[in-house]
Amino acid sequence: MADRYSFSLTTFSPSGKLVQIEYALNAVNQGVTALGIKATNGIVLATEKKSSSPLSDPSSLSKISLITPNIGMVYAGMGPDYRVLVDRARKVSHTGYKRIYNEYPPTRILVQDVAREMQEATQSGGVRPYGVSLLVAGWDEGVMPDVESAVQGGGEVEGEKKPSGKTGGILKGGPMLYQVDPSGAYYPWKATAIGKSATTAKTFLEKRYTEGLELEDAVHIALLTLKETIEGEMNGDSIEIGIVGPPADHLLGVEGVHGATGPRFRKLSPQEIEDYLTNL
Amino acid sequence: MSSPFSINGGACVAMVGKDCVAIACDLRLGLQALTVSNNFPKIFQYGDVFLGLTGLATDVSTVSDLFRYKVNMYRLREERNIAPSTFANLVSSSLYERRFGPYFVSPVVAGLDPKSGRPFICGFDSIGCIDFAKDFIVSGTASEQLFGMCESLWEPDLGPDDLFETISQALLSAVDRDALSGWGAHVYIVEKDKVTKRLLKGRQD
Amino acid sequence: MEVLLGITGKDFTLIAASKAAMRGATILKASDDKTRQLNKHTLVAFAGEAGDTIQFSEYIQANAQLYSMRNESDLSPSALAHYVRGELASSLRSRKPYNVNLLLGGVDPITHKPSLFWLDYLAALAPVPYAAHGYAQYYCLSILDKHHHPDMTLVQGIKVLEMCTDELKRRLPIDFKGMTVKAVTKDGVRDIEFNDDKVVKCA
Repeated sequence: MADRYSFSLTTFSPSGKLVQIEYALNAVNQGVTALGIKATNGIVLATEKKSSSPLSDPSSLSKISLITPNIGMVYAGMGPDYRVLVDRARKVSHTGYKRIYNEYPPTRILVQDVAREMQEATQSGGVRPYGVSLLVAGWDEGVMPDVESAVQGGGEVEGEKKPSGKTGGILKGGPMLYQVDPSGAYYPWKATAIGKSATTAKTFLEKRYTEGLELEDAVHIALLTLKETIEGEMNGDSIEIGIVGPPADHLLGVEGVHGATGPRFRKLSPQEIEDYLTNL
Repeated sequence: MSSPFSINGGACVAMVGKDCVAIACDLRLGLQALTVSNNFPKIFQYGDVFLGLTGLATDVSTVSDLFRYKVNMYRLREERNIAPSTFANLVSSSLYERRFGPYFVSPVVAGLDPKSGRPFICGFDSIGCIDFAKDFIVSGTASEQLFGMCESLWEPDLGPDDLFETISQALLSAVDRDALSGWGAHVYIVEKDKVTKRLLKGRQD
Repeated sequence: MEVLLGITGKDFTLIAASKAAMRGATILKASDDKTRQLNKHTLVAFAGEAGDTIQFSEYIQANAQLYSMRNESDLSPSALAHYVRGELASSLRSRKPYNVNLLLGGVDPITHKPSLFWLDYLAALAPVPYAAHGYAQYYCLSILDKHHHPDMTLVQGIKVLEMCTDELKRRLPIDFKGMTVKAVTKDGVRDIEFNDDKVVKCA
């Protein structure tokens, strides 16, 4: 009989708060710090891989995930909840988009789909909110921000197709970085951090972030920020970095296919991370 | 004789030009040999993309309404107009959803790619198999006649005015040899930031 | 052998339907009314399979009236035509489709523009200046092609309608027992006296 009734556990307190969501945020704020920085030509996602035992094998632990060839994701909070969301995100990007339009969803559309999933967990019966915050980084085809500002600046080039403002739309292309919270709220960022040392990391990022950053600089700043907050040793095995950059055609698996472009999102290998660390 | 595709009659054609595309259809709606209406357009505009539908009249209306809904929802969700190639894939997947109870239509899609400005045309069978073409796409009860006219009249890199002349003559001549099509035509010429719609009176017999 | 006719003119839409209710070769009734009023300015005439016709047209009539009551305003003939098409189209791909052909006529409650819609059982919808269903199409459309004019007055319209019914009496092999004739104007639906007893001699 009891299973006939299924009320949402997330109910308003008299003061208007949803305490279950606040508890979920507490779980996030105990999680390992993750950060993201947007550059002009890409994005970097970075986090620490914390192992509680010297016997653990960090090489087979992965916290940054590829969702679509151009979109990647990292989290702070509960690992199992994150894996569920990665599965949902990968699935919905196909069922809700690729199988319909034969192209992958733009970052904002994917973020909205994941955010919807997280919001529904705050209003449905028999479930609890997800105990994670996400950083979603992606690259969208569209008008690049620098081109857009040039057009708006009145320097209209003859013969160049200007974006139609008919729908006031997001013809906006280039790098996109979003944070998604357990409530289902999502925010676009230039650079941000989530997790245990988010506040410290964000203060650090505010100091180091500049407009017109290149991807290489962004990776550098990401490592510096991580260094501020990291508890253990910093090496290729103890941190994880994902980048959204130029199409990585070497990951395509084939060569000479006309029109084929490689994924923009890829994870850096421990060796690549070590290389960055030596130059720190 | 009573194939659902040839009960009501109708014809549609799309052509590629230099930095432009054209799409045209006839206006007849009939029941077998009897003409019921000479005001039944078969081309529908969704933002910057054009869809031509020939076949069973009821499905022409149903499918055009369905895509109006889908494209409007896309525009609200994504805050941008749908691109012709994206729309073509939407048409394909939507038709294949009805694989074992299809809509009896032969769609044609035409438009310019919003990013590159390149012309895009394609056609489909009733279950969504896409037929990409660099030159022209024909559909409807006059498709055989249209193939002949297009093969002989079409040439690469026609400007908007020449393309209009070519597609109009191809359509009008083709439907004259088809008892189930004709009775006037709609012709759309799509350029970078201009769309011209012309109504051709055509033979009324 | 059911006859449905519709004619639009300057400020009216005429709808006419044969009075014979038939079952096979038998005429069961000679005063049948194959029309239903959807709202003040819209009328449908229907023909087709016996049960389906009444069932379907009264269903859309009820829904049109429900809309008028809920919203205290009437749907336009065009809106109703598209509504009816939608119902018929979803019926078409159901287990047991309605077998009904319809003519839907009216005047727009705001612009007072007359309109007429031809709708068959496949849910093919066409706006037309004049229309017929069934065998009547083969006899009447050519007469209407020649004599119809968009600026016709009601009197002229009735005259053209009479030319059509005369031809039908002359050529149809079965007596259709005269016509119910109704006119939709900006003031609503009005019954039109129509002389059914006129004898037309065959050539």
